[in-house]
Amino acid sequence: MSETKHILLRWKDVKADFRKLAEYRKHEGFEGLKKALAAKPEEVIDVVKNSGLRGRGGAGFPTGVKWSFIPKQEPIKYFVVNADESETGTFKDRLIMETNPYQLLEGLLIGAYAIGAHTAYIYLRGEFWDIAAQLDACIEEMRKEGLVGKNILGSGYDCEIYTHLGAGAYICGEETALLNSLEGKLGQPRVRPPFPANKGGGLYGEPTVVNNVETIANVPWIMTHGADAYKAIGTEQSAGTKLYCVSGHVKKPGVYELPFSATFRELLVDICGGPSVEGRSFKALLPSGGSGPIVPLNDKVLDTRMSYEDTAKIGTIIGSASLIVMDDSVDITWVASKVTKFFKHESCGKCTPCREGTYWLDKVIDRIMAGEGSERDITLIENVAKNMAGITLCALGEFAANPIIHTIKQFPDDFKQHVKKDGKAAKPVALPAAGD
Amino acid sequence: MAETKLVTITIDGKAYQVPAGSNLVDAAKWHADNDIPVFCYHPKMAPVGMCRMCVVELGMVEKDRATGEVIMENGQPKVRWMPKLQTACTQVATDGMVVRTDTDKVKAGRESVIEFLLTSHPLDCPICDKGGECPLQNLTMAHGNGVSRMNFADKLKLDKHVPLGDLIYLDEERCIQCARCIRFQDEIVGDDVLAFHERGRRLQIITKSDPGFDTYFSGNTTDICPVGALTTADFRFGARPWELTDVPSICPHDAAGTNISLSTRLDRDFGGRAMIKRVMPRQNEAVNEIWISDRTRFVHHFTRSDDRLQSPMVRRGERLSPTVWNEAIPALAEVLKAANGDVAVLAGGGASNEDLWELRQLLKGLGSERLGAWTTHSGAELLLEVGVGKGSNLGTLGKGDAILVVASDLEEEVPMWYLRVKQAQDRGAFLAVANHRPTRLAEIASQTERKVASQTERKPLVGKSVLYEAGKAAHWLNDLANSDPELYNTLKDAQNLVIIAGAEGLDWDGGRALMQAAANLLIAGGHVGKPNNGLMATLPEANGMGLQYLGYTTQNALDIIKNPPSVLITAQCDPLGDDPTAGSWMSKVNTLITLTLFPDDTTQRAAFALPVQSFAERDGTFINGERRVQRFYTAQGPMGDALPLWEIIARLRERLGQGRAKVSAAAVMLELSNHLPSFNGIRYKDLAQVERQYPDVGGKDLYYGGTAYQNKGGLGVQLPTTADNGSAPTTGTVNLPEVKQAKKGELLLIPTVRLYNRSHIMRPSALIANRVAKPFAALNNADAKKLGIKHGDRVEVRFNGGQATVTAQVSDSTPQGVVFVPRYLADTPTPMVITSASVVKVSDAVAVQ
Repeated sequence: MSETKHILLRWKDVKADFRKLAEYRKHEGFEGLKKALAAKPEEVIDVVKNSGLRGRGGAGFPTGVKWSFIPKQEPIKYFVVNADESETGTFKDRLIMETNPYQLLEGLLIGAYAIGAHTAYIYLRGEFWDIAAQLDACIEEMRKEGLVGKNILGSGYDCEIYTHLGAGAYICGEETALLNSLEGKLGQPRVRPPFPANKGGGLYGEPTVVNNVETIANVPWIMTHGADAYKAIGTEQSAGTKLYCVSGHVKKPGVYELPFSATFRELLVDICGGPSVEGRSFKALLPSGGSGPIVPLNDKVLDTRMSYEDTAKIGTIIGSASLIVMDDSVDITWVASKVTKFFKHESCGKCTPCREGTYWLDKVIDRIMAGEGSERDITLIENVAKNMAGITLCALGEFAANPIIHTIKQFPDDFKQHVKKDGKAAKPVALPAAGD
Repeated sequence: MAETKLVTITIDGKAYQVPAGSNLVDAAKWHADNDIPVFCYHPKMAPVGMCRMCVVELGMVEKDRATGEVIMENGQPKVRWMPKLQTACTQVATDGMVVRTDTDKVKAGRESVIEFLLTSHPLDCPICDKGGECPLQNLTMAHGNGVSRMNFADKLKLDKHVPLGDLIYLDEERCIQCARCIRFQDEIVGDDVLAFHERGRRLQIITKSDPGFDTYFSGNTTDICPVGALTTADFRFGARPWELTDVPSICPHDAAGTNISLSTRLDRDFGGRAMIKRVMPRQNEAVNEIWISDRTRFVHHFTRSDDRLQSPMVRRGERLSPTVWNEAIPALAEVLKAANGDVAVLAGGGASNEDLWELRQLLKGLGSERLGAWTTHSGAELLLEVGVGKGSNLGTLGKGDAILVVASDLEEEVPMWYLRVKQAQDRGAFLAVANHRPTRLAEIASQTERKVASQTERKPLVGKSVLYEAGKAAHWLNDLANSDPELYNTLKDAQNLVIIAGAEGLDWDGGRALMQAAANLLIAGGHVGKPNNGLMATLPEANGMGLQYLGYTTQNALDIIKNPPSVLITAQCDPLGDDPTAGSWMSKVNTLITLTLFPDDTTQRAAFALPVQSFAERDGTFINGERRVQRFYTAQGPMGDALPLWEIIARLRERLGQGRAKVSAAAVMLELSNHLPSFNGIRYKDLAQVERQYPDVGGKDLYYGGTAYQNKGGLGVQLPTTADNGSAPTTGTVNLPEVKQAKKGELLLIPTVRLYNRSHIMRPSALIANRVAKPFAALNNADAKKLGIKHGDRVEVRFNGGQATVTAQVSDSTPQGVVFVPRYLADTPTPMVITSASVVKVSDAVAVQ
């Protein structure tokens, strides 16, 4: 809630400009790194493990466990920050990088130290060119104070940080596609195993950790305040706070940092002020952008805590917490169509079901939306989507199937109103612009 | 397969012992005869898991963590199944792995992948070259639903005739984005010229090179393409696969002895006779695996070129007039009888063992032993002693082994060896390349790692590229222990060492010296008389090795040149076309008899020109550079009155009273192997022996390995060296010749070899015309400056016996004092051995254009 202490947007509590290194250092800045450098790398990993920190990119994998997979004996390791932030409706990482860049860079150094990496990359989506320039400037500021490069803070530990811009592909947020892109190859996911943490699976084949911006930005606070303090925030299985990106039909959309224990109602009604248009009510929620299952935004959902374990109970995921709110004026079929177009556009084309399936689904939905579909077409797209799910190379294929499967499951009537019944033509609906 | 630890995996309820770490698709096929369908996976390439066709249910036998005991449930081991279907191609066999390939879930998975692939695949099978041998077609029949749920109007429409280069066309609609072609070029060849462009359903194959698809191995991509997306400009729309008869044959172009299959059809375009419609690879894992070079695939048109000599010709006054065999043979017999034994043969590497045997017997009957080998390479006799040991296979060289390639531009001379040497380095072998100019293989050798897009792990490569003084290959190798002890020891102390010697910049003395120096290094390191050790040479054409086995030597050739005989028979060689100075000694020959495919320069001077059949029209055997005797079969209808060379000579011998003419090539081989102990008494039927090869390709499961043919014609027999037979070879003295010096004010002309050129054999293949380099001479910057020549200028190269007008290529990669002139590019004969030459500017580059 509003009085909750911030971790990621800490500058809000202390009312300081964290974009300035001096300001940041005045308020606990780089204290976590100092602590970490004074400890053994495995002790740092233990702290992060005990804190219960989970990956904020969407999958929620325990961060400390991920770090512990890195084989110690390998001479070369890499630490990579995923700042590709391209999930529909997600705009949290840019806020961290724009307002609190040093906390990310500090967390990165702690992580790199913990796994024994001496080179770290921040992979940013191509549109973040201005943020990349800003981060580059921050890295140079840090260099002046011995916070990056050789012998960081006199500890004998060396680490260099590089930013790298992608070229505008959703798939490059998938960690192995990101690594391919970083290597200068086509942005397509890799076969796993070997996993990035394994020899042969990471960047240039070396063991690599890939962490989301938000995940890493939590690390300095954890080091400074300890694992127990962090674990005390949030729920049993979802420790800490989360940046929730709210967009759509609420009065006050934006990014809000709340503990995982907060409910959808607290965020969408109490903070965001409920439906944006008087007289309308909530209809549906995409809690994790286009990729997560859509749910009806009813009381049961509103009273659910926005944690990994609680959202699973209502048949969806919290993922990257990009909440897209829709009121009762929205035709969910239109949403499904829009999201399908997105995935068709973003499918990398490497594996058959996703490449062909997204193209096919889009064609059939267009037909349905044009009022030329039949009930058999609904069965068809559901079946095609189910054939895609579970057989694709990476998770994008599953994501692409979600809007169809869950729209039909949760809002069956929305689709039915578009298809021919008893030989009568259905009502045509304006299509989203082609290629969007 | 290499011997490794065996593990137990269960496939559809039956347990199999398979090597640990073997790919599941391969293991299921080889050990369990279980066809897991694939499109993107190929047994010669790393898996990528793209097409998803190979999905299976996968589980592991559960073991008690404390005791390691298998947990039993209802009398069966308890299996922990993975919730989703898994791609078999990305799995390696581990102990306790349990696989199901026959469940409804698997069937549904396969069916859905087929359905997805067909959504935008065109329905043009009736006019598709792949139709009838198409993995997608076959797997659709096996696993598809049979009914399309895709609205026909929704199908994607794309370009259907996209030339990726001169040789290969892409049909974008048919492509299923399996990336086999991209990966082949990237992983296997190392010419990373193809790539994906765009993403999603717009993903398309493009070529990144200029000229497009710039590689010597492009045709192989059409074999491994699982659909009809890639077709050759040579074969597309030419015939249907089911009309074709495949005839086993051997590539006639180089010493690799690449196993091929000639796909023939009785064709209207060839007067209803059997005609080669395409040349395909035939699997021989020890020779060419399942690959062939583009020269092997696309240079076959000469066999039925109208330019071929098609009837025997006899000189009447100034002109050669056509005659018939019944007149030519008696006339020849008279000439030979009159020669009183003053007769000699010069034979080229295109003649088969049977041809060479009949010629040898002819001369023997006439009382002569003057059998000369017309070749650029000498010292081949050492190959009989210290050649690569019996059982050698370049495909098994790897970590700890070493290969030295010296005085050769291997990619241009024997592309198959280039491919296999490059892959040996990929597997960890040390590759040393030494020459007096940079070559593609030298570039490969000096790479410390190769980036392969489909593979992540960086594998360090070991190798070295050395540049020695022009023409001094033998000097360099002979002095290696002193000049570069580190390299010398690396080679000498390698687990296995293979040396591949060329003859670039060497005359016959220099070549002999180089071979001896190589032999000495091999002997010093104990690298003789055992598999994967020994000497190979880039002998030109297919049977350079046969020349040596049949007693045709460069020493004899030298003697023939010094003391020309009264009657000279040239057998599939063209001394006057090869060597501008040959005219001076050839004029001393009274009667020149030439046995030839084409009316060439030598024919111009011959008293008798006799048309021989090409490899495609007859039976015979060649011996490749690894001393493998291999058999080729009659595939194509004959051209005119041409006869097999051996048959012409056999008829002549009968006329001369040397006994009844043999009636078949097999009978000639029988006599040959009975008389020459080195042939170990081999018969044609021994050469036709086959055995199951790994990986198993060319069967009905075309989806697995592609359309390379299964070997039904024979794997050949490798002849043992004397070292193999137990004699301990001793090092010999290297007689270092004086390296030829350029005359004052001139440059040293060094002939080089290009894969594609304007020789008689190449010219009829119009397809590759664009790939043949314009005639050029390569000069050093400093020399060019001195001579007032700029890059691109038209220059005349003048040498003993002639001149050639070519374009100057000026660069620093040519050493100073040297001019490289590729053979068979210019319109006039250029030297075949190192010589002194002057280079004079004729006109500016601009003036030419």
